[in-house]
Amino acid sequence: MVRFAAALRRHGTPVTPEHVTDGVRALQYLDLADREEVRRGLRAVFAGRPEDFATFDRVFDAFWRPTTEADRVAEALAPPALPEHAPPGLERAGRETLALDAWQDEGDGEVGDEPVSVPAASELEAVAARDFSTFSPDQLDEVFRITLRIARRLARRISRRRRPSARRGRIDLRRTLRANLTRGELIDLRYRRRKRKKVRLVLLCDVSGSMDLYSRFLLQFLFALQSAFSRVETFTFSVRLTRVTEHLRARSYREVLRRLEAVRDWSGGTKIGESLAEFNRRWPALVDRRTIVIILSDGWDTGDPDLLAAELLRIKRRAGRVIWLNPLLGNPSYEPLTRGMAAALPLVHRFAAAHNLAALRELAGSLSL
Amino acid sequence: MRDDIRKIQEMMEAAEYVTDAPVATSVHLATRLRKPLLIEGHAGVGKTEIAKVMARMLGTNLIRLQCYEGLDAAAMLYEWNYQKQILHIKLHETSGRGASEEEREIFSEPFLLRRPLLQAITQLDQPPVLLVDEVDRADEEAESFMLEVFSDWQVTIPEIGTIKASHPPYVVLTSNRTRELSDALRRRCLYLWIDYPDFDKEVRIVQLKVPQINQSLARDLTRFMESLRRMRLAKVPGVAETLDWAHALAALHADHLDEALVSETIGAVLKDADDIKRFRAEVAKSGLGPLLATP
Repeated sequence: MVRFAAALRRHGTPVTPEHVTDGVRALQYLDLADREEVRRGLRAVFAGRPEDFATFDRVFDAFWRPTTEADRVAEALAPPALPEHAPPGLERAGRETLALDAWQDEGDGEVGDEPVSVPAASELEAVAARDFSTFSPDQLDEVFRITLRIARRLARRISRRRRPSARRGRIDLRRTLRANLTRGELIDLRYRRRKRKKVRLVLLCDVSGSMDLYSRFLLQFLFALQSAFSRVETFTFSVRLTRVTEHLRARSYREVLRRLEAVRDWSGGTKIGESLAEFNRRWPALVDRRTIVIILSDGWDTGDPDLLAAELLRIKRRAGRVIWLNPLLGNPSYEPLTRGMAAALPLVHRFAAAHNLAALRELAGSLSL
Repeated sequence: MRDDIRKIQEMMEAAEYVTDAPVATSVHLATRLRKPLLIEGHAGVGKTEIAKVMARMLGTNLIRLQCYEGLDAAAMLYEWNYQKQILHIKLHETSGRGASEEEREIFSEPFLLRRPLLQAITQLDQPPVLLVDEVDRADEEAESFMLEVFSDWQVTIPEIGTIKASHPPYVVLTSNRTRELSDALRRRCLYLWIDYPDFDKEVRIVQLKVPQINQSLARDLTRFMESLRRMRLAKVPGVAETLDWAHALAALHADHLDEALVSETIGAVLKDADDIKRFRAEVAKSGLGPLLATP
């Protein structure tokens, strides 16, 4: 059982020693001659999510076999080969690709491990005003660290802003009672501060083509801000929608990039409407009055603009606020003329840029309801 | 198959719950290992039913803790009946009693509002089934609180003392997967995933729960529900909706499906305006035929 658990762990299923003991205990109550019954029982103990079922079945089948097939067992138990480096970039020119690949080959230290050189205030402003795509690969890393630091500082500021003021709220019966036990009247009133409900954030990031770079900055920026929010859910989309919330929780920054790599879609063209439709269909419960929905996209849509408008309207009706971020707004001569953008514009509460640090900082200012 | 498990399956069927081996196995292990059972699945597939059936099978009480956003310890465990306490103070204010005596009086049993977790701990005869319904609607804080209670099965009320469970309850948690539950909770529980039933199972459920319906209508409406679930709807209907519809059709003494009947009764199945619009458009375009066909 211990080896079985170890095999499961190697294949990515979270397994604790308690699971192992439960597994052994469970065997007492199962018909050991009935293989399927043992499978069902052990699955209830070890697999905590439907996504883990496939892995569990594979490992179970490979593990519990007659000893004559020892070789096949050993082979089947070898963990899936994890690529050392990301698959080579596709035939794509453009600094963004180079920048990100270079990022990945760097060491896997966690962000914040090494001492960050603090640029002078004026330098910082200069950095903050430059479009992300204008940095060279070695500079990007530094800019990234600065982004995270700013984000964390902003997170503290946002949380502080939300603490309840000294204004009175409803009467707290319990404390009032205690304060008045010696008298018959309730003279000394105690008030209960209204519990502030935190805001939830949902990010839908376009990762097609050149949007990829901006998306990553935004994703990490907002992820670092997450202590200020009750929940941050992140999705990427191009022609299909992918939930990446869990990917951003990886231990090391390198791991995060590697996981995000898997959802990269360079196939060109975005179907914004379709992606929003999928979001609305699969995760309707994420959007309510206390949710801020942020969509990051340049609006180049190869899908149906009517669909985009319809699905965006559905989101708008339910959300507390809808913000559309478009890096092209960094260009002063930009006008939202594409059909996708034109369809979306009247339906959002705020339309802003996200092409540099200054823009992200300003965004943080509007992240409260 | 283990006899116990087979017996559980039979008992569940006898309690009018159509079940299969994975469900019976999980219920069996949960009761023997005394671990909480976490049941996840889409809305309306019968998760809550399992807890009710378990209580019936074990011949014990079902105590239900309905979770919602903002659920806190007071609502889960206990609260003092402040209004009653205040009244008591008022009534006795001229009796000349001292503060400490008054305090002792009002912080006693008759003034304690027991909420579900405390109720679950203080059952006298036998362990109850504690159903924590829709735990994904509560937040992580509520989850940690629950886990604390589940580990020791004792609660300290400062004014009264420590209460220890004489019969630790069987715990069943359900979740609609609208939120990712904490790892701590998952680790603590056995896991059961309930999917939409396959065709035969769903027909059996309809016939069991709505016996007035004839066989061919039961098959038709099940086929119809299956097709609906394949459409891209905002609110996918579950087995609960299947049964609601079956009851509605039975009440109308229907014996087969036609467009008029379906159009009148679709409100029992689809609860979202956009879904109904999409459905009507689909029927207007290709009629009922494709929805009733075997895939």
